[in-house]
Amino acid sequence: MIYLDNSATTRPCAAAVAGARRAMEESWHNPSALYGPAVDAEREMASVRARIARAVGARAQDVVFTAGGTEADSLALLGSAARWRGARRVLLFAGEHPAVLGARAQLEAMGHTVQTFPAGPDGVADLDALSALLDEDVALVSCMQVNNETGAVQPTARIRALMREKCPDALLHVDGVQGFLRLPSALTQTGADLYCLSAHKIHGLKGVGALVLRQGVPISPRVAGGGQERGLRSGTENTCGIAALGAALSWAEEQAGAAQRLREMKLRLYDLLRAGADDLHVNGPDPRADTAAPHILNLSFPGVGGEVMLHALEAEGVLVGTGSACSSKKREMRSAFQAMNAPRWAAESAVRFSLGLLNTPEEMDRAAEAALRCFATYRRCQRRAYARNTAGSLR
Amino acid sequence: MREILLVRFGEVHLKGLNRPQFLRVLVDNVRRAARPFGGRVWLSDSRIYVSDMTDPDACARAVAGVFGIHSVSRAVEMDKGDFSAVCAQAAAMMAPMRGTFKVRARRSDKRYQPDSPGMCREAGHAILEANPQLSVDVEHPDHVLEIEIRDHATLHTGRLEGVGGMPMGTGGKACLLLSGGIDSPVAGYMIARRGVRLMAVHFHSFPYTSQRAREKVVELARLLSVPCGRVELFVAPFTEIQMRIHAQCPEAYGTILMRRQMMRIAERIARREGAQALVTGESVGQVASQTLEALGCTDDACSMSVLRPLIGFDKSEIIARAEKIGTFETSSLPYEDCCTVFTPRHPATHPRLERIREAEALLGEALEAMLDESAAAAEKVVLREGHTEGTEN
Repeated sequence: MIYLDNSATTRPCAAAVAGARRAMEESWHNPSALYGPAVDAEREMASVRARIARAVGARAQDVVFTAGGTEADSLALLGSAARWRGARRVLLFAGEHPAVLGARAQLEAMGHTVQTFPAGPDGVADLDALSALLDEDVALVSCMQVNNETGAVQPTARIRALMREKCPDALLHVDGVQGFLRLPSALTQTGADLYCLSAHKIHGLKGVGALVLRQGVPISPRVAGGGQERGLRSGTENTCGIAALGAALSWAEEQAGAAQRLREMKLRLYDLLRAGADDLHVNGPDPRADTAAPHILNLSFPGVGGEVMLHALEAEGVLVGTGSACSSKKREMRSAFQAMNAPRWAAESAVRFSLGLLNTPEEMDRAAEAALRCFATYRRCQRRAYARNTAGSLR
Repeated sequence: MREILLVRFGEVHLKGLNRPQFLRVLVDNVRRAARPFGGRVWLSDSRIYVSDMTDPDACARAVAGVFGIHSVSRAVEMDKGDFSAVCAQAAAMMAPMRGTFKVRARRSDKRYQPDSPGMCREAGHAILEANPQLSVDVEHPDHVLEIEIRDHATLHTGRLEGVGGMPMGTGGKACLLLSGGIDSPVAGYMIARRGVRLMAVHFHSFPYTSQRAREKVVELARLLSVPCGRVELFVAPFTEIQMRIHAQCPEAYGTILMRRQMMRIAERIARREGAQALVTGESVGQVASQTLEALGCTDDACSMSVLRPLIGFDKSEIIARAEKIGTFETSSLPYEDCCTVFTPRHPATHPRLERIREAEALLGEALEAMLDESAAAAEKVVLREGHTEGTEN
């Protein structure tokens, strides 16, 4: 199997598996307990915390472990909103992951007003649209580092600059789940006050994430309990998962030029596909542009449903993602496609290839071959609904 | 004195000389339903009784779901010798009730004293004495306490409606075309309820339909196997035929031509497996392929009888039934099914049979072989009493 759905989850690297195993067999004690082995477990957790802090340019005590990226996002958004006095405004990037957009209802229930700002046709946030919405009333802006569907790198530093002019006291939340370790992620580079990451998207295990706070950013906990994680996230820490995250981080650091390698593999795949099918449509930025993340390539195969390509590729031993919800009856475009106002046919025939550090250039050749073969087979028998739209939009 | 279930059956009464055989099957089916609760089951005096069950409520619900059962009551069985003890028990059973009540009594032992009106009077008196919060209303009572005198006295205060129908296995075998939508499981259930054993055929169009769509249909068959006992599901590969229809025939006829081939493959599998009829979830006018003309064109493709139990139902009625039998939620999962792949923009709603046959001729002589191959290659999944038993190719 060639696994090209790394934006959904990544295969744990051997170091992470070994790290988790060691933690389960040796340092499995409750890190809050008082005896020696517990102190060791605590120390191990502290070293992972310090490692994340270093990678993001924050203080170790400002790293809060959670049970994943979604929980980190919720804690960032709802935890800071709980601190505001009176009704405020929140601006969310329309292409955010459901982990962020899903908090909208709760923010509104707290009495705050939530507005969204769209992307341009390349999937990159529209700063003019954002700028028009910014004023003193805004308490928080949320914009992801890299879009999980299109791979569009978002201009979070420029958003920070805009905010400095128009609402200097507002917080910037950056969901770094797709960007961490693939792009420069220091708080000073992203401009984030609240930065979230997830272990299983970087070859760690599911069930661990972290919220990193810029020093002094106030938030309230969303979970009540024993006061772990400086009271911000009660519950005994997932020491095994955290140990695995630490091991995955060490492993990633050893991969010299990882981002460049991902980018080269992505472009290799793209060039092969483009050479075999010149009517492919890119969803998101030009794969060679600076605004394209190194590891995500989203393409529409005109006339063939994304799901059909997914299953046909699966039969060829290649696993990929799609751009629209799985339903034919309840066709909802994913937020990234809505945000850039993509035509429906493009969303429905979109296939996402997302690469990880365990992929090889040779796999790109085989995946491209398989995709071209499937495209040739199933475009002959395309569903007319897609075909009509394709003709209307492309030619 | 012990707690039992008193189980009444419906139409089996009508079955003349076949009655003993029908009853044997019905008792076996009740026994199977009561088995998880350790219940002992026997037939006596036109009633089925269950005793010694671990969870009487759950056991009663399970038995009420057996095809052929009219109603089930949780009852107390006691010695009939001392009628004053029966009255005391009646009074105790009515203690939690409020409002009005009446007593209904019946004796199959006609020598028993008091007689039925006498039993009603005496028991009613005892209940009123012990429970001043109650009053009698023989016209529209809130509660009815029933006393039956047979070998023993049995007393009960309520009944759980059974699903009715005929005992499973007494009506032959039919083959359901199971799409994964809301209608077909309901159609299958309705035919099965008439005592008909069920097998099912599903058409799988990988890569147009996904593994999840297949899993969904296996789950629907599993749900049907709870009341039906055993369901054999055949998953027939259909992609090639669909692609061929799509490539070679007029678009407007696509759906009807597809349905004709589905009927033909289903008929092949049904005959091979010993089924006597096909069952579909069609209802007049629901979609383009379900107008009278289209149904006629579909029927023309097969020689088996096609049962369409939902033919006169509105969608809302079908949904209500799907909710009741517990298939609605699974049917509503959004995976694309074989029927929606290649839906024409403007399907023919009033097709003429000659035109359809002409269009079908474009598929050429290879069609027959393709149909045979699909029927032969169908993967078999056996589901028994809510469990997946196995898969064979």
